[in-house]
Amino acid sequence: MGKIKKKGVSGQAKNFITRTQAVRKLQISLPDFRKLCIWKGIYPREPRNKKKASKSATASTTFYYTKDIQYLLHEPLLQKFREQKALEKKISKALGRGDAHDAQRLERNASRPEKTGKTKYTLDHVIRERYPTFIDALRDLDDCLSMLFLFANLPSTPTVPAKMIARCERLCLEFQHYLIVSNSLRKSFLSIKGIYYQATIQGQDILWLVPYKFNQRVTGDVDFRIMGTFVEFYHTLLGFVNFRLYTSIGLVYPPKFDKTRDDQGAELGAFALEANGVGAIEQPKQIENGESAKPDPKLQAEIDKLMSQLNESEKEPETSQTLPEEEGDEEEQTTDMIDKFEPAAPGGDILPQPSYSATDPSTLFSNFTFFLSRETPRQPLEFILRAFGCKRIGWDAVLGEGAYTHNELDPSITHQVVDRPPIQATQESNEEEEGGDNQTSQKLKAGARVPGRIYIQPQWVWDSVNDEELKRPDLYAPGAQLPPHLSPFVKKVRGQYDPSAPLNEQEREDEELEADSDIEDDPDVSDEHDMAVQKPKLLTHEEVDATAEGMDVAGSEEDEPSENEDAGSFGGFSDAEEEDDEATSTALQRQRELEAELTGVALEEKEIDPRAKAKVDARKKAAKKAKEEDEELERAKMMMSRKKRKIMEKMVYSNKKKDAEAELLRAKRRKIEKSGKGVPRV
Amino acid sequence: MAPTTADRKRKAVTRDVPEVSDPESEAEFGDGLLEGILSQSEDEQVDSEEDDEEDDDEDELDEIEALDSDEIPSDGPESEVEESNGSLKKSNGVKANSVEELLSPSTLEEEERPNYTITTDANGGERYVYDEIDPVYDSDDSDAPATTNTIGNIPLTFYDSYPHIGYDINGKKIMRPAKGEALDALLDSIDVPKGWTGLTDPATGKPLNLSQDELEILRRIQTNELPEEGYDPYPATVEYFTGIEEIMPLSAAPEPKRRFLPSKHEAKRIMKIVRAIREGRILPYRPPEEQEEQEEEIHYDIWQDEQPRPDNIMNIPAPKMAPPGYDLSYNPPPEYLPTKAEKQAWESADPEDREKEYLPTRHDSLRKVPGYEKFIKERFERSLDLYLAPRVRKNRLNIDPASLLPKLPRPEELKPFPTVCSTLFRGHDGRVRSLAIDPSGIWLASGGDDGTVRVWELLTGRQIWSAKIGDDEAVNVVRWRPGKDAVILSAAAGEDIYLLMPPLTDPETEAASRELLDAGFGYATNATQALTANGARKEPVAKWSRPGSRLEDEGVLIKITVRTTVKVISWHRRGDFFSTVSPTAQKSAVAIHTLSKHLTQIPFRRLPGIPQTVQFHPSRPLFFVATQRTIRSYDLQKQELVKIIQPGARWISSFDIHPGGDNLIVGSYDRRLLWHDLDLSTRPYKTMRFHSKAIRAVKYHKGGFPLFADASDDGSLQIFHGKVVSDMMENATIVPVKVLKGHKVKSALGVMDVDWHPREPWCVSAGADGTCRLWM
Repeated sequence: MGKIKKKGVSGQAKNFITRTQAVRKLQISLPDFRKLCIWKGIYPREPRNKKKASKSATASTTFYYTKDIQYLLHEPLLQKFREQKALEKKISKALGRGDAHDAQRLERNASRPEKTGKTKYTLDHVIRERYPTFIDALRDLDDCLSMLFLFANLPSTPTVPAKMIARCERLCLEFQHYLIVSNSLRKSFLSIKGIYYQATIQGQDILWLVPYKFNQRVTGDVDFRIMGTFVEFYHTLLGFVNFRLYTSIGLVYPPKFDKTRDDQGAELGAFALEANGVGAIEQPKQIENGESAKPDPKLQAEIDKLMSQLNESEKEPETSQTLPEEEGDEEEQTTDMIDKFEPAAPGGDILPQPSYSATDPSTLFSNFTFFLSRETPRQPLEFILRAFGCKRIGWDAVLGEGAYTHNELDPSITHQVVDRPPIQATQESNEEEEGGDNQTSQKLKAGARVPGRIYIQPQWVWDSVNDEELKRPDLYAPGAQLPPHLSPFVKKVRGQYDPSAPLNEQEREDEELEADSDIEDDPDVSDEHDMAVQKPKLLTHEEVDATAEGMDVAGSEEDEPSENEDAGSFGGFSDAEEEDDEATSTALQRQRELEAELTGVALEEKEIDPRAKAKVDARKKAAKKAKEEDEELERAKMMMSRKKRKIMEKMVYSNKKKDAEAELLRAKRRKIEKSGKGVPRV
Repeated sequence: MAPTTADRKRKAVTRDVPEVSDPESEAEFGDGLLEGILSQSEDEQVDSEEDDEEDDDEDELDEIEALDSDEIPSDGPESEVEESNGSLKKSNGVKANSVEELLSPSTLEEEERPNYTITTDANGGERYVYDEIDPVYDSDDSDAPATTNTIGNIPLTFYDSYPHIGYDINGKKIMRPAKGEALDALLDSIDVPKGWTGLTDPATGKPLNLSQDELEILRRIQTNELPEEGYDPYPATVEYFTGIEEIMPLSAAPEPKRRFLPSKHEAKRIMKIVRAIREGRILPYRPPEEQEEQEEEIHYDIWQDEQPRPDNIMNIPAPKMAPPGYDLSYNPPPEYLPTKAEKQAWESADPEDREKEYLPTRHDSLRKVPGYEKFIKERFERSLDLYLAPRVRKNRLNIDPASLLPKLPRPEELKPFPTVCSTLFRGHDGRVRSLAIDPSGIWLASGGDDGTVRVWELLTGRQIWSAKIGDDEAVNVVRWRPGKDAVILSAAAGEDIYLLMPPLTDPETEAASRELLDAGFGYATNATQALTANGARKEPVAKWSRPGSRLEDEGVLIKITVRTTVKVISWHRRGDFFSTVSPTAQKSAVAIHTLSKHLTQIPFRRLPGIPQTVQFHPSRPLFFVATQRTIRSYDLQKQELVKIIQPGARWISSFDIHPGGDNLIVGSYDRRLLWHDLDLSTRPYKTMRFHSKAIRAVKYHKGGFPLFADASDDGSLQIFHGKVVSDMMENATIVPVKVLKGHKVKSALGVMDVDWHPREPWCVSAGADGTCRLWM
């Protein structure tokens, strides 16, 4: 007999340690322990058997690896915490004694990060430990950026000191500058939560979320001390990452920061990048609002006249006006693009294609000058336009300092981003008369258009960026109904619903017919909208005059026999019911024919039928197929082991859920398309 | 007077032992009861006097002690004194009484009397005998110790044979205190006096009783009080050295001068500092805060000498946030917008139950998008997840669920198998217990509760032949002899096994069969009977005989009678041996019969459990015996146990061996059908539980089709496709193919037996409803 094992000295009992035990072992307070865990990246583990892992009778909830905690024991930060604690004790003791002077002296030694934003310790070594290589750090940057961008947008409170916010803002702007210079921003997405950005740095995809510029709602159940701990760590991390990124492209870090410009709201413009040993990099100079900027008064008058003429139907001429130019642009763009391979027939595999065109992202907007109207979000637009190569961005003076121009009438402007509905010029003229003296000479009247530039809504920028091509601006004209804004991050999975692809490409065979029969379609729904419903009709049509279109007919003929074949093979081992059913149906048909013959009425039903028949066929076929498959499945399941069966049931359940979701979406879309209220899709 | 005195003197010597050794016991003499009897001696007087004194003392002391002294006399000393008094009375006779009477008044006026008595010695001269000095309080040797035994460290047992137990300081014998009698002991045990310990004081040899004081001490110790009464453990401190500060100093020395004069030394030191400040060697203090404020954090390339380090195996990196989907767009495709019902459902649901924490909404332009109010909350929750959520690696199977399904042959590939009932065999009264198709595949034999064996034409269902073999017993089993050279049917009814020869074929075969059956008669008679232990001829296990002319005419040729009812017959493939099972017989449950020798053997002396059924291995010399729980296979040549198969069933009803010989199916009364791969394990390879009632019979198809069937009490047969591949790597594929229903369930019995056609994929079943069915 072997040695009797003692309980609790090996295995899970030894490998795991509860949180209370850990805190006790480290001899620190729980908040300090939390800090350590956050910084050192230590997280609880789930033991395979909780009962074995915990030594006490009560169920402990949080377990850590004993080794993790042991590794914390040697942490230099632990010593700092202890020193801090001792100092706090001394201060409180001095205060208790009424020795204010002593307390003050000691207080001077204490670090009060919530006041000064400075700590006695640095987290440099922790960064190095957690991220042995730079790539590791980049990989973990998602949360860091999301958090810092959020804090950059927070109001300062006692728990979130202004210094912390300012530091977050600086770090974020520095990071954005890097992305602009290196052109590593790839995608962006306007969501209801905020704006998602994705950048690729050294092959690592980094995705972060930036809230819209609103005052954030702070609820009571958020503990800012925890968030602050994270932010403290992320500050250090992003500082080092920025340093590395800047130096890797030959820039000096930290970039020169102009306090006065920042106070004027220059944001990105408050930083002056310097190349190593070269000096400041030239930014495109700001245009003085001089005479040259003024538009030609004659042209302006002409345009105004034209606008007043076309007031009622303004959109069409607008687009027609802008189109030719845009098309030229597009052709230029498309010359060296990779052609997209779209599957011509369903059922084939989708091969991965390089998602980026040969065009450099740095050149997407490089030839344009943008002007942002004052209702547009300046910061994200500025950032994204710059990141995609735009050098000259002007905006309304309201939006802050740092613009290429504040003059809306600048002739060099090629695109103006507008986010307000077009206002009737007549009303506008009245208003203008009332408040005419308020308007400066630079400002245009609200409904007016400057000739020679493209007016677009902000979504144009995002869609162009995501598709790596300039979108048709007429779809994004002010006041136009925008095409849906799609997430560029969704990976297309076969069988899942893809809103960008046409509906009939992705639905199952006969799904439509089934759905139709389910819904009991309204009589007023016209067939024109329903492409797929027309299909059977077309087929019959083709069959009638088969010689007309050789190719198509051949295709349809190929289709038909295969289906028949299928049906035959199903009949081979299925029960006789189906055949019976069919037999009875044919018998019924025959009976009807006979009756019709007797009564002398022409049997026109068959004439009208094809659609209905197709429907019935589809339903029948689907039912039959389903039954067959079910039978087969049941037989197979019977022979599975219980474990495997469970796994399979789980998988089938989740798959079914996904399919149901996709089907629901398809059904909704079908309905929308049928009702004719569909939106244009790009 | 003289003799009395002499007597008394002698007495006094003897008497004083108890007196001296136990002064307390003398106190008892002071009691009124004994005084009249024993106060004849002067000692007594002294004693009483002493007693008085003691009483005085007692008065002075507390009463408890007096009580104590009262109690003591109830012990042995009293009786012992009585004893000695008895002897004293014998010697003194009446005189003692008179002396006592004489002396009794004198006790009152003892002071006047001299402290000695005058006696005559041996020479007749006067001799003064002094009284014992009573060490009362005034006496000189008041602090003389009480008499103690001086024997030292010698065990008292040495004195067991003597009347004394040692010597006192004067060299006088200390007499053994008298022991109480049994009755006294009993009385003592009834009312144990206070302070009684049951111990004997080794010093005195008397019972060791605790005094009231001692008892009190014990009580105090028990109640956690201080043992000594009146002891104050915390007395008020006596302030030897006063803690009170004196107002007036003790020293009257005047204040020293130095206390009023400025220190030159200090002035020197201060001047030194002043000079240093003037020279700029010491800078005046400046609060450091401003400098710290301006301090900028230093950045450097922390990854300058980066070295990739593989992650710890146990490290699980935090999962990234899921990228946004289409429905999160500020302007999603319209199909992603919730319908009114969905919206309502979302709003009414508890925030924790919601599948998504947001509701897709559409804003027709960017300026209308509001701030997301749960932004901070979500970020906070993410941070909580990062540091507080236990991370577990979960393997997500991203495979097609269809790939998990076992590859089953298509139903067409499994064909042929029996599907419909084509022939019904009616004729039996009551249940049909057993049936079998003959090796040629033309005839079907069946036996049932009516005691008849019937032979039918398989395809037509016509009854060809029948014989009634069991008069009032059911035919439990019918089996054909394998091999086509002869047509022999075996059947068992009750304890009898019959070998039948139904007239089915041409006379040559018939003759061959008859010859086969009769060949053994010579052996049977020649066989010597074994002798039992007491010399009596052992009764043969089975008797081979002719069944009688009536049956012989019908075609029943041989009758073998064993001891108990036979339930199972199983033939060896060559047709010379067959084995029977009669489960109720203990030792002879399994019997192997040799047809050619008319010999019956009992192969197993003892079997672990009740045997249910037996089978011969189809190709090797192995013999399988199924008991209730296990199946054992024995090697017949080596005569040893080869394997124990444990199907795990509670009660095995039947089993069958695959013609290949490596697989086994077992049917059990607990509704299980088990497939065993003998090469694989002793445990079942597959367990099938598709029946709702017990399984009665299982059978493999022996003619090349990969089929097997089971018959159950629920009235159905189930046909399985069970393909065995010779390749060792591949397991058998078992596919349920058909459930055959048709037999009626009668008195909870459905199908009793099943058999396959030797070549075709047909099977026959025997039902409790009195019919047999052919399924094809």
